[in-house]
Amino acid sequence: MDYLGQQLINGLTLGGVYALIALGYTLVYGVLQILNFAHGDVYMIGAFLGFFAMTWLGGPLAPTVPIALMLLVMFLIAMMGTGLLGIVIERFAYRPLRNSTRIAPLISALGISILLQNGALLIFSPSIRTYDTSSYIPSTLGFSIGEITIDSVRLGVLVLSAVLMILLTKWVNGTQVGRAMRAIAYDKDAAVMMGIDVDRVIRWTFFVGAALAGAAGVMNGLLMRGVSSGMGLIPGLKGFTAAVIGGIGSVPGAMLGGLLLGVIESLAQGYLSTNFADTITFILLITFMLFRPNGILGRPMMVKV
Amino acid sequence: MASSALALTGLVAIATPAKAADCTGTIAIMAPLTGGVAFIGKEQSGFAQVAIADVNAKNGSKIDFKEYDTQLDAAQAATQAPNVVANKGVIGVVGPAGSQEVLAVGGLFGANDIAVVSPSATRTNLTAGTYPSFFRPIPNDGLQGPGNARYMVQKLKAKEVAVIEEKTAYGTGLAKEFLAEMKKLGVKATNFAVNEKNADYAAVVTRISKTADFVFVTFQDAAKSQQVAQELIKQKKKAVVFGSDGSDQPTFKTPGTYVSGFAPDVSGLQVAASAVAAYKAKTGATSITTFGPPAYVAAQVIAEAAVRACAAGKIGDRATVLAEIKKTKIKKTILGGSLEFTATGDVKGGRFYIFQTQMDGSRKSIG
Repeated sequence: MDYLGQQLINGLTLGGVYALIALGYTLVYGVLQILNFAHGDVYMIGAFLGFFAMTWLGGPLAPTVPIALMLLVMFLIAMMGTGLLGIVIERFAYRPLRNSTRIAPLISALGISILLQNGALLIFSPSIRTYDTSSYIPSTLGFSIGEITIDSVRLGVLVLSAVLMILLTKWVNGTQVGRAMRAIAYDKDAAVMMGIDVDRVIRWTFFVGAALAGAAGVMNGLLMRGVSSGMGLIPGLKGFTAAVIGGIGSVPGAMLGGLLLGVIESLAQGYLSTNFADTITFILLITFMLFRPNGILGRPMMVKV
Repeated sequence: MASSALALTGLVAIATPAKAADCTGTIAIMAPLTGGVAFIGKEQSGFAQVAIADVNAKNGSKIDFKEYDTQLDAAQAATQAPNVVANKGVIGVVGPAGSQEVLAVGGLFGANDIAVVSPSATRTNLTAGTYPSFFRPIPNDGLQGPGNARYMVQKLKAKEVAVIEEKTAYGTGLAKEFLAEMKKLGVKATNFAVNEKNADYAAVVTRISKTADFVFVTFQDAAKSQQVAQELIKQKKKAVVFGSDGSDQPTFKTPGTYVSGFAPDVSGLQVAASAVAAYKAKTGATSITTFGPPAYVAAQVIAEAAVRACAAGKIGDRATVLAEIKKTKIKKTILGGSLEFTATGDVKGGRFYIFQTQMDGSRKSIG
């Protein structure tokens, strides 16, 4: 039972990161019906921005501000930076193609993905960076329930993921921009006729989706994983898988899909094979695409005829 | 008569020892110059360049180099290899860094008589005879895997170990050697194979028994070894990470952990002082890892063989350089020992070195 509990904690933490990435896919898809395959690389940029913010504040060994403030600044800079990057990507890679064929923005997304990866390689150098979290947050800090241990970083990631998801839900449901976003997702033409500034709402959508990916990037770094220019590919694909499982276009679906994917991956590693977790993940993607293409919470799309 | 005269002239040209200044040739440096472990490639290339400059300064030769980026990726190495072969000036290759890359390119280089001297590819079967032009100035995993197993059991008194085998040509081969030795020693060893692209090791660490004394990891990216070491602490497990040479990088720095290296720490060796100083001056680096110095030796081996080939009148002749490399005898390399190759290209009398990470993150040689 303890073993299962520990694997569930591992899976939920991983799932929290996947869910934040999945939300970016789902928000953009909901509004524009395009798959933003550059999203994994935005997550990578977020991890780098968090790293450089930490370095700017003295680095892991000699921080010049209290640790809590350093973490806050790391998240804020990463989220603001990636949010603005999301707006730039939308403006130059997607807006000019808004009325073109469906394949055009997909190709543009792949181009942006390669551009971001190679740009990061050129600017940030090819070295793997690490946040060196254990230097300022001791690995022994945390608590135990029986044999299940939850360290402070994992707990922080879990709580912050939940907070960001709650805030996003409130934003989508309770603000004017959020309502406009849902209106555009439901019927873009009608939304335009109702006087909604579509460009402004799309800008907000890209900002929020990319900012969440930026937060996920910092969480990845804090969980002791290496930060490098190629790090966005697999998490990006898993975020997409999570969005599909949950029902692409559905905000609660992306959250559910992410958490579910993290837990399934962790349980697969824990009970089946440590080697084939990714295989199981992508078999799951294919299974959903074949048998439930609208995902768990997605609804079949109505097509005007 | 005229043709006989021409033939005679040609014969004289072949047989006459070349002037040192005429001794030319290009050494290809195949290394991960970009990508996740670019620091390895940059250090290997930097040391190789210092060695070429030293050989030129000593012999008056004009051997140069050309870098080929492989990103520690077999596919990338396979893409670069035909370019190396097509470059007629190339007399030998320093690299590639990874065993999986040698597997991808060794056959092509062998078929073209191009000597390949890798400073860091340790997979045992690379010297099983399949690649006749392959050499390495470092020991192989046939020594590393069993050596680490024996050290763990005999010196560190391990009773139970776990192995995290990264599924790469390097990681799998090494884990196999290690597990076989553990079986011989009668110590329980549980293997966990993981995908190279795996990013989170929490679930794998949860599977490791609480009674395990050590976790032997075969990663090529030390950040992963560090993640496993920290995850073990977080999950309150007593096992200590013991990394192979792939973990011998500064990012793996949890105090109390162990790592094996295919080369000694040459910082304190008088014989290496000049090369290390030249490397630091050239690159601006303030510290070195164990990846660089063997690349100096690899380049030295090829460059000196090329000089001997020139002296025999065979300037830039790949087959002659290859034959001369087989005869290599260096009394003292910058790694501190002598160097001769076995018939299959391994170093004679090679050994691995064991280091333990100290509280300040530095490494202390312990075996």
